[in-house]
Amino acid sequence: MEGSSDAVIVARVLRGDVEAYRTLVERYRDQYARYAVHMLGNREDAEEALQDAFTRAYRSLARCEDPERFSAWLFRILVNRCRTMGARRGRRARTFVVDESALTSAAVDHPADGNAWREEIDRALQRLRPEQREAFLLKYVEELGYDEMSRLTGVGVSALKMRVMRACDRLRELLSEVHSA
Amino acid sequence: MNRLARAFVALTLVAPAARAQDPSLAAKLDRPTLLAVTAIIDSARAAKLPTKPLRDKALEGAAKGSDGPNIVVAVHHLSIRMGSAKRALRPGAGTDEIKAAAGALDAGVSTHDLARLQSAAGKRPVTMSLAVLTDLIGRQVPIPTATDLVLQLERSGVKDGELSLFQRNVRADIDRGADPAAAATTRARGLVQRGGGAPTSPRSSGRAD
Amino acid sequence: MDRIARELRQPVRVSSSLDDRVMSAVRQVPPHARASLWSRLTTPRSVMVTPLTWGVLAASLALFAALGAAHAYQDVHRAAAPIAKALFPKADTPQRAQRVQFVLVAPDAKKVAVVGDFNGWDASHAAFQAKHRGGGVWSVTAPVPVGHHRYSFVVDDSVWVADPTAPRAVDNDFGMPNSALVVPNPE
Repeated sequence: MEGSSDAVIVARVLRGDVEAYRTLVERYRDQYARYAVHMLGNREDAEEALQDAFTRAYRSLARCEDPERFSAWLFRILVNRCRTMGARRGRRARTFVVDESALTSAAVDHPADGNAWREEIDRALQRLRPEQREAFLLKYVEELGYDEMSRLTGVGVSALKMRVMRACDRLRELLSEVHSA
Repeated sequence: MNRLARAFVALTLVAPAARAQDPSLAAKLDRPTLLAVTAIIDSARAAKLPTKPLRDKALEGAAKGSDGPNIVVAVHHLSIRMGSAKRALRPGAGTDEIKAAAGALDAGVSTHDLARLQSAAGKRPVTMSLAVLTDLIGRQVPIPTATDLVLQLERSGVKDGELSLFQRNVRADIDRGADPAAAATTRARGLVQRGGGAPTSPRSSGRAD
Repeated sequence: MDRIARELRQPVRVSSSLDDRVMSAVRQVPPHARASLWSRLTTPRSVMVTPLTWGVLAASLALFAALGAAHAYQDVHRAAAPIAKALFPKADTPQRAQRVQFVLVAPDAKKVAVVGDFNGWDASHAAFQAKHRGGGVWSVTAPVPVGHHRYSFVVDDSVWVADPTAPRAVDNDFGMPNSALVVPNPE
């Protein structure tokens, strides 16, 4: 089953072989974990979103029209889940005072240190607006084309380009603050 | 007591609801979910709450592939929100207003602010105001800001058509990169000024900008 | 930006128990419709029941039977009118409906449907199947009752897309986006 195509495995699952679904989970778990972690900012939420997405995909597997493109279909479900979880957290977060200064003045090592640099990127990413972060990740990290991003998100290409542009501007701004601090 | 026993006891408790079930729900929900949802709908009917929104919520959950327990929770929460909404709105508020108000509560608007909005509107339906308020919050306008702006628009007597245009303009501004709160405040100012009186900044002393 | 992206493209590992949690969840989902009915019926399953559980089950069944008998007695008096009609009069009658146009730009879609509380969230409802008008534009005009509604587009039977031009409805329940629609009374 390891080398079987997605379509073959989907057909097997639909015939009743539930355990075959594990192959699809193992195949795509890490690939989409990266997106979920960057989008949601922590591993715990990312795992919840991933688990939910895989479960929803299983539940509606019979409606997957093109099983050869199962991975793209699954990714759409995951993108939606991350949006919902992000929105829920955003509403809760507004009840707390966000200490902006703590984000920029926390003791950081010299940016040349790899781990510190990575932390700064992660921190800056989480300060983007959710729709900008989503567009940036899809374009630059998942390396999708704008047409595919549009199919995935339901957002028009020009709006997506605007979001990516603003995300890049904001990231440069945030990360140059770190370097000049 | 194991799961099987708990399920039987639960079924027994909701047995009265098993008498009459909506055929469209019966076609989409598994039996335990159907029984639980029907019981919630029956309770809502007894409390004189609209029941179609509850039925629609269950159908929505089924269409989106949600599991039974999640559907039951969603229907239950909606019935609670509709109860709160009904108490906050004017007597005789219709199903559409209650639905829209339940949506606003779900977005984080308080029942106190719902009542303030109703008071500002008087006998006018607040359905459109609530839909616009919910949309603003969904587009990341902070809840206090969005609530204050819609209240001011309501007090200015802005009509539903103008509210709809306001929502479209704010959306377009945000899509072009504007800060949501700034976009909403600016557009609201323009709308109110056309009707007379500028909106004040949210939670301010009431002086005009 | 490339430097940032390269950093973010590094693999991320999640807990190894995630696979088990997913499989545990999917095993609880009812079998897919395409699964062989015969195989589901003939696959043996073990059930463990304690004496106390048997007692509770027996008592519940007795109570259920008694309640059923009481309800049957009451139902005799309602036999003249169908129960569904009595409890849900005109539930689906489109009273005071207005024709509303729904438009979605989806250049790569093969199918677009409108679902909402005005059609039971049914993606196969004939009146709400959008047609491709060219240039990636899909639209359908259909009757929608006056009032407040929640709705969404379903693209290719799998992607739920909120209407980008409509007010957003909050959706905390099922995770997929909805839009709000207020159809005014023409009077």
